[in-house]
Amino acid sequence: MVSTDQKTDVKEKEADCPVVVAVTSHAVFESGGAEDPDGLYVGGIAFPLLQALQKVNERLLKENPAESLLFDVIVITTESQQQQQSSRITESIRHHGLKVSRFCFSNEEDFIENLLNNNVHLFLTTNRNEALQGSQKGVLSVLLDEHTASCPTEQLRVLFCGDAVVQSEAGPALASKQAAQSFSAQIGKMRGRFGLFDSPISIALVTSRGGRESCGDALRTLRSLGVNADEAYCLAGVPRGPIKRLLRPHFLLSECFSSN
Amino acid sequence: MSEIKPNDKGSSEESAEEQDWAAAKAAFDNLKSNKPRPPKPKNAVTIAVSSRTLFNMKAERKIFEEEGLEKYVAFQQEHENEPLKPGPAFPFVKALMNVNTQLRELYPDNEELFDIVLMTNNHAQVGVRLINSINHYDLTIERFCMTGGKSPIGYLKAYLTNLYLSKSADKVIQAIDEGIAAATMFTPDTEQELSDTQLRVAFDGDAVLFSDESEIIVKQHGLDSFFEHEKAFENKPLAQGPLKCFLEALGKLQRKFYAKNERLNCPIRTFLVTARSAASSGARVLKTLRSWGLEIDEALFLAGAPKGPLLQKIRPHIFFDDQMFHIEGATELGTISAHVPYGIGQKYHKGKLIEQPKKKE
Repeated sequence: MVSTDQKTDVKEKEADCPVVVAVTSHAVFESGGAEDPDGLYVGGIAFPLLQALQKVNERLLKENPAESLLFDVIVITTESQQQQQSSRITESIRHHGLKVSRFCFSNEEDFIENLLNNNVHLFLTTNRNEALQGSQKGVLSVLLDEHTASCPTEQLRVLFCGDAVVQSEAGPALASKQAAQSFSAQIGKMRGRFGLFDSPISIALVTSRGGRESCGDALRTLRSLGVNADEAYCLAGVPRGPIKRLLRPHFLLSECFSSN
Repeated sequence: MSEIKPNDKGSSEESAEEQDWAAAKAAFDNLKSNKPRPPKPKNAVTIAVSSRTLFNMKAERKIFEEEGLEKYVAFQQEHENEPLKPGPAFPFVKALMNVNTQLRELYPDNEELFDIVLMTNNHAQVGVRLINSINHYDLTIERFCMTGGKSPIGYLKAYLTNLYLSKSADKVIQAIDEGIAAATMFTPDTEQELSDTQLRVAFDGDAVLFSDESEIIVKQHGLDSFFEHEKAFENKPLAQGPLKCFLEALGKLQRKFYAKNERLNCPIRTFLVTARSAASSGARVLKTLRSWGLEIDEALFLAGAPKGPLLQKIRPHIFFDDQMFHIEGATELGTISAHVPYGIGQKYHKGKLIEQPKKKE
């Protein structure tokens, strides 16, 4: 196992809390509520992501059956129509073999409150408005897009964007920096449970505008949060489309770095 | 210059790229330092170098091979603030930087420059030592990829690479298969003093600049057939080889100097060092180059004589050849050489067919 620095070693002695991830039902299942012959929902954009989160949990428990730093996945509905489909949602989840610890059947009015009450560390949605609302209340909210659908299921790939440009089309502007930093620290700690090779989590850093100094600084910033990146790409203006297609991250985080 | 790079994207992606480029350019121009800004990838001649070609990582490599990945990364992290020593591609990189300086003086807002990218399989944690080492020597390398173990091939294309140098023959072969000029670098046994005002690049002809079609004739039918064939087909251009595009890119930069009346002092000089002889088989080579609109500054026909001593006189920053026999001869006498694993030459050693082991499934 890779040893992280002194600070995190001290913290590890306390029991680690689970990382609570809330995903909207719209993200988990195909939009429009497409159904299979049994009347159950068909898997959508966030499907591979959920499978990857599950894979991480399996591997964490394999390393340490008493592990408490696990992903705690909640499926949340964010509007009344879905709110009324509770049994179909739970049935579909079970049918697809996904491990979800809780369901939150909320609507547009109260989903934010539910996020806060459940101490959600990461909120994943395909709806820009919902992401914005989440950020405004200090919940780290990430917008998923169609690229997430083609990500691997065997490894969770997290991409940190060292300068805001890469994130601009995907994420909301007001995400809480603190929420982002503490989530990142948790991810970093989880990553540290595995060796360099064959890890179910992979952390990559991309800087799109600045040169090597800005990427070097971003690497050090991540280290200070307890995150040891596996991959780093300094683009300095190289077109980012092809790079993103190669990286295939499940989601992007950029709020850890100071915004300019 | 843009014809050297592929352009197969839709218009919306292209306009996003232009925005990215404008933002990056602005970010660099706003920096308080007077570091030169990296050129626009589409217009630049992009050279990707691996960490082991840029720096001497022999000791570290040994740790990796004998003690494994974790110990290797830990070692690199412990020694993070110790700069690495220069590797075989280091003089080449310094020479490229020198050409850039001169190009910037003549053409201040120009994007047709060399762009040096660090392309490594290493983990990003090892990358910190690499960045520190680059800082130590003040190299103009502003772009890099640290793939953490993944294949760099896709990234080579994404960074619009014109030439890839690595110590790993496997990666070089993959790159060539994908149409990217690439070569495996070898460190010479002795160090030579190289020019610090002029970039000097030497190329073998067959299976490097040109295809291996004629070499096949030599290997399979002997020299006499080869001479007859070359004379008969003197006026038919040879097909291009893996490094032809790189020579072309060098030529475009050379012409920028000629346009400013700097032909005599041109800081780029190219050499053809071929086993062909001028009398019998040389004409076809020169005519082929002319038909491609390419120039080479000096063409040296050895008629089979060893290349080592001549290269010792030329002192190139890098010498490309497809045959290990010539690479060995060159490195023994102090020339930094790069093997191009292409064509029929890979199946032979010193004229004899190498027994190929059965390929593993």
